[in-house]
Amino acid sequence: MSGTPVRAMVRSPFVLVVGVVLTWFIAAFLVWPNINVLIATFFPDGSFSGRAAEKLFSSQRAMKALGNSFLLAVALSITVNAVGIFIVLVTYYFRIRGSRILFLGYATTFIYGGIVLAAGYKFIYGDKGIVTSLLLQVFPSMDPAWFSGFFAVLVVMTFATTTNHMLFVANALKGVDYQTIEAAKNLGASTWTILRRIVLPMLKPTLFAVTILSFLTGLGALSAPQVLGGREFQTITPMILTFTNSPTSRDLAALLAVILGLATMVMLAVMSRLEKGGTYFSVSKVSSELQKQDITNPVANAAVHAVAYLLFAVYTLPVLLIVLYSFADGAAIQTGQLSPGSLTLDNYVRVLTQPAGLRPFVVSVVYSALAAVIAVGGLLFVARLLQKYRNWVASVFEYLLHIPWILPSALLALGLIISYDHPNPLVGGAVLTGTTVILLIAFVTVKIPFTLRMLKASFASVNSSLEEAAAIMGAKTLYVFRRILLPLVLPAAAAITALNFNSLLDDYDTAIFLAHPLVQPLGLVIKANTDGAEGTEGIANTFVYTVLLMVITGVTMYLVYGRSGRRRSRKRLPEVPPQGIEAADVPSAAGPAVSGASSKVPAAPAR
Amino acid sequence: MRKLQTLVAAAVAVTLLAGCGGEASPGASGGASSAPAGGSGDTLVVYTNSNGEGRGDWLTQKAGEAGFKIEIVGAGGADATNKLIAEKNNPIADVAFGLNNMYFSQVKAADALEPYEPAWAGEVDTQLADGETYWPLVKQAILLGYNSDKFSRDAAPKDWTDLWTKDEFKARYERVTGLGTATAQLVFAGILSRYRDDSGDLGISDEGWKQVEQYFQNGSPAVAKTDLFARIASGEVDMGQMPSSIIADREKSFKVSVETVIPSVGVPLAVEQIALVKGTKKKEQAQKFIDWFGSADVQGQFAKQFNSMPVNKSAQAQANPEVVDFFADLKQQDIDWEFVQENMGAWVEKIELEYMT
Repeated sequence: MSGTPVRAMVRSPFVLVVGVVLTWFIAAFLVWPNINVLIATFFPDGSFSGRAAEKLFSSQRAMKALGNSFLLAVALSITVNAVGIFIVLVTYYFRIRGSRILFLGYATTFIYGGIVLAAGYKFIYGDKGIVTSLLLQVFPSMDPAWFSGFFAVLVVMTFATTTNHMLFVANALKGVDYQTIEAAKNLGASTWTILRRIVLPMLKPTLFAVTILSFLTGLGALSAPQVLGGREFQTITPMILTFTNSPTSRDLAALLAVILGLATMVMLAVMSRLEKGGTYFSVSKVSSELQKQDITNPVANAAVHAVAYLLFAVYTLPVLLIVLYSFADGAAIQTGQLSPGSLTLDNYVRVLTQPAGLRPFVVSVVYSALAAVIAVGGLLFVARLLQKYRNWVASVFEYLLHIPWILPSALLALGLIISYDHPNPLVGGAVLTGTTVILLIAFVTVKIPFTLRMLKASFASVNSSLEEAAAIMGAKTLYVFRRILLPLVLPAAAAITALNFNSLLDDYDTAIFLAHPLVQPLGLVIKANTDGAEGTEGIANTFVYTVLLMVITGVTMYLVYGRSGRRRSRKRLPEVPPQGIEAADVPSAAGPAVSGASSKVPAAPAR
Repeated sequence: MRKLQTLVAAAVAVTLLAGCGGEASPGASGGASSAPAGGSGDTLVVYTNSNGEGRGDWLTQKAGEAGFKIEIVGAGGADATNKLIAEKNNPIADVAFGLNNMYFSQVKAADALEPYEPAWAGEVDTQLADGETYWPLVKQAILLGYNSDKFSRDAAPKDWTDLWTKDEFKARYERVTGLGTATAQLVFAGILSRYRDDSGDLGISDEGWKQVEQYFQNGSPAVAKTDLFARIASGEVDMGQMPSSIIADREKSFKVSVETVIPSVGVPLAVEQIALVKGTKKKEQAQKFIDWFGSADVQGQFAKQFNSMPVNKSAQAQANPEVVDFFADLKQQDIDWEFVQENMGAWVEKIELEYMT
């Protein structure tokens, strides 16, 4: 897996075609607009001044908030991994009673997030929350506002951001070769040793990728600190947003964003270095599917069960309350006083009978679906090449593709406007502002870094000998890609598409600047109906939209991931019976697909 | 099985693409502005921050009855301002309204507004706008309100400065956690204007900045997504900033009674304006729309529907009499808007960086 010389790389026509398209895309939509906006920001009169840095570094508040953001990023990288790996193991690795139910609980983070999630936790643990009230009866002297500050923000964000673990780490776990585990067992290795020395190392590329995402989530934290951080724990993002909106302070926003962006890049470089040189696929000639493991120690078993169900409650309660509160009136939501009699359908009637009706939902679904499919479809090729060829050209491309992580989306949007409000040769002399295309371009670009990271991790766990074998037998590059690689990364690709789709559905920051006036997506409608300054209906509408989005995203996850997850393409072998088979009964070699009577669909063997 | 699912996926993709074509085509024709729809001409694109609580839908419908086909694009005040400025080379909007004078003066400074004198220019106080590009529609007072069940008029604060100088109000008032909103900026315009000192930092004396510092040190920080009225109802705080138009409605929703403070220097007024966007391809139609929307009759109906205070003198007869009376007695603070507009960006920056804790 050492570097491939650049000259060897450009000999392949496949590489050349992808390279040319990629170079154009990066130049036109990642580099040029953002250079324009950064120049306009830092050199407003044609000359650079150190004003922004001077102001920021002398501001106690900015430095403290920046420090908090970094603290949160580092802490989240650890806690999300701890909780994430635990819930993945209890749903997929250990034999836990009711693991399917547990999965549904842990999967609730797929379908909601943001300010409403933070509010949901506040309903439970806040000073007027349910759990707090119960605790106060037991310990009357405790502080009702116990759930605030760094601790509360970290807890909420940890539980809110395990989505990537549930999707991608779980996916990687399913690819672990069971024969290795069996062999280790026969050699007398304990459950813990097997986990630490065999299972977790195989998950490394995916764990590295999701760690970067957790780090980034921490750096960009917005709503949880606003709702739960209190005076002591505020982060930098609200300040970036305020300064982005003020033309005279935009240089401060850009500088802060660049600082966070550079930190992300450093994190990325560290993770790439750690990832290098490892082998993350099974090298055994005949590998078999993972079997669920018993926890033999009864105390440990009981403890794991208890923790698993406790986490289930933590994950599920906020969702239940949000759904419940979406039927209450705005005043009740904000004062936390809920009576069964006050629950009505009024909120839903009001939201769904607006003159705009379902149109914004359709617009958003179409835009998000297109953007999600284009981003994943295009980057499949790119991620593959970046994973295969490791040289300086590939590295440059890889880092350039992360530009959208550096700047806030409002700045990305402004960059697109000032770059394409006049005929521009980069896009064939077209004017893009005022068209329906420009928002799609923005949607695709903002999803590139996430898509690339996850796809690359997914390609890293593909056994290269399969590809070599096909090539030796005369298969062309595209054929190998289509028939061998694609089926293997498809579950991950589908999950990425679904997540991209979900996250774009209610986008406001990009759409507000780029949406065509006659084709306005949902985010703008939500904003108009939920803004803080717009009465008690606003907050109630927020909850209704959240529940409606939960329904859409829930259906998406089921259609795209839930089913493909079960139909996962096994690497080299047909599937073995899913449940209740002792380790000794594992079929030894390539038998016919044996499907359990349960819901599992026989896997398609990869050719 | 796999084939079936591939088929399903393909069908979904095709449907989505077809849907996109359907969505995109009205957009394309709207942008090309070639085919006038019926006798009413093209769709006018109207940017506003005043579309919430059904205002946008009400306006679209009324405009339709009057023969104007409009499409409202709603955005917060700062967003709408930035959007108008960013798009000035190839404008998408034809008309913008609802932004206050501070926002419109930024748009004007970026040369994105077209001068136009509406037919109703004689019916409004031109002092409330620039008398050239943007014209006043609706007045809004930015007030300090307090829980009148807890404080009698005599015991209540007499001015903003009382909040941090008198012990009984410390920690009982809500202070903002960000200066992104127009209301918050106007509160500070009202406070800082009193301490104008051309030799001071950003035109404000040290004494003035000390007030800001005290404001932030002694207030209870606002809570995201929790309305001030909700906090008043639960007893967390007793007072805070509020625009005049929301008070009656929130009092009812949260079952609290709120009185407002009229300091001896008066209260700052936010005046929502309307303007023609420079470079619009439907200038004539846009001008007609402005003439229609600012007219006494339409402003009167708008005021009646949304409890607002119209600037148009002839429209005030139709407005809620209580609102008109309130504004008739109201002492307006004398603020040098030019001075405020020049410095607001820098003030916000300084306050965010140095005083907000």
